[in-house]
Amino acid sequence: MIVVENLTKSYGSKKAVDSLSFSVAPGRVTGFLGPNGSGKSTTMRCMLGLDRPDTGHVLFDGKAYTEFERPLTQVGSLLDAGDAHKGRTARNHLRWIALTHGISVQRVDQVLQMVGMTEAANTRVGKFSLGMRQRLGLAAALLGDPKVVILDEPANGLDPEGIRWTREVMRHLADEGRSVLVSSHQLVELSLVADDLVVIGQGSLISSGPISQFMTQHAKTWVRVVSPSIDALAELVRLAGGTIEKTLEGVDFHGISAAAIGEIAAKNNFVLHELSPQIGSLEQAFLDATDASVEYRGESATSTWAAPQQ
Amino acid sequence: MGGTAAMIGVLRSELFKLRTTRATKVVVACSIALPAIIFTLTSMYAFSNGEVGDSLVSMVGNFAPLTGLLLGVVGVLCSTQEYSQGTIRITLVATPNRFTVLVAKLLTTVVVSTVSSVLMLLLCLVPSQLILSSRNIDFATIDTDVRILFSVVILSVFLSVLGLSLGLVFKSSPGAISALLLWPTILEGMVFGLLSVAFDRNMMKFAPVQGNGFRLIAHYANESNSWLVSLTVFTAFVAVFAVLGAVFFSRRDA
Repeated sequence: MIVVENLTKSYGSKKAVDSLSFSVAPGRVTGFLGPNGSGKSTTMRCMLGLDRPDTGHVLFDGKAYTEFERPLTQVGSLLDAGDAHKGRTARNHLRWIALTHGISVQRVDQVLQMVGMTEAANTRVGKFSLGMRQRLGLAAALLGDPKVVILDEPANGLDPEGIRWTREVMRHLADEGRSVLVSSHQLVELSLVADDLVVIGQGSLISSGPISQFMTQHAKTWVRVVSPSIDALAELVRLAGGTIEKTLEGVDFHGISAAAIGEIAAKNNFVLHELSPQIGSLEQAFLDATDASVEYRGESATSTWAAPQQ
Repeated sequence: MGGTAAMIGVLRSELFKLRTTRATKVVVACSIALPAIIFTLTSMYAFSNGEVGDSLVSMVGNFAPLTGLLLGVVGVLCSTQEYSQGTIRITLVATPNRFTVLVAKLLTTVVVSTVSSVLMLLLCLVPSQLILSSRNIDFATIDTDVRILFSVVILSVFLSVLGLSLGLVFKSSPGAISALLLWPTILEGMVFGLLSVAFDRNMMKFAPVQGNGFRLIAHYANESNSWLVSLTVFTAFVAVFAVLGAVFFSRRDA
């Protein structure tokens, strides 16, 4: 169990994290979301004692990270896949970490096997792709067989098979009863594996809780209707307060429930081929939830980008 | 895992880190091999008049600044490589107690520089004695210069600690190595030379490295400090940077 309480961290006059509180339960995968610069990495660094928070604290099963005698057996972390000496082999990279905790060479070889890097064990890290470095970072996180796993963008640079594998690893770790906190921008992937979400913007908490709760609060909902009498039905729905959006698949009704549309159709003997409630994606819900706290925003590519003039 | 066991683990890890980086191995090898090769060649081809003017130890002592500065670079690499390669985060995640990491790095640097300087002395003295004996050249191995033997080791250890400390302050190899090499070889001479002109007296004896650190391996001269005073001044100079490095390391976000 991770408990983050009232965490605040400033760099000069800029507050990177502002009175942030949330918890991560054991046996669950908790997604940690936020736009770029929202304070996710700073929060993770504060959790691991790398940065000193101005106020607040983080407890792992009631203890601060710095209080653990053998912290790697409690908390495994992957903050940046690039955190490895390019001249060392994968095996030696894990061995120096293992030596700090008296972890055996056999365990080093075991985690290398777990992440599918046995054959690359004696290859220098400098020759690895980003995906292989991610796997090595994950191996380092699992070295101490920790109860809590903290991963910052673990799927970065991975191919589709690697992304699926990472998802399975996170699910497996949570199913074994570990707390898994994972930050990611790959929202589709996260929606497939996360049980809970912590969403932050500009260092402050936006939402925390089960993913279904977040979707209920922030995702758009509408009703898709396919009917031979769609124009007449649309007119009646509009009169009942709904709004209409025509799509390739049919007509989407917003601001009115499927039950209300069904009753209108029944009263007027309209034939319906489809009447289905729809819910937006996690990506859309995330963008809507964090819209006000996006710090760095690009111009719309379709509206304002122009080809360079010859 | 108690405090001692934790320290031993971190020490083994730090030594392993040094053993598994090419740059460190090359610099350590140079600090031992360069003086040994030069001294062996000197023993083979010099002293054609049939005698060695000075004791061998005294002559080997002349290589101490070279070995010391190279081991200083090893000290720099011991800290800056962690920052440049990002491994400092893993180091501190594995050992959140920064004091333990600091002590382990200090001890590692001291052990490596002590072993390297002793090896350098052995590789200089043993072959040269054999070569000079086979050439029937008169020589004294130690004479009255036992002090120099210890001074070579002391200078190497202190310069490597200075390198480690500068690395912790600068966090980058170019900055720390520049400071380590430029201060004693160029800047210190200029600064204390100017001060000597300004005050019309020999100020070089206050220069911490050239006037005191390097003087540990030299014969006494009337105008310079005694060995003990030189050792004290040089120790104080290194200690200032060691404290600075420790403060930066323990207080800075990783």
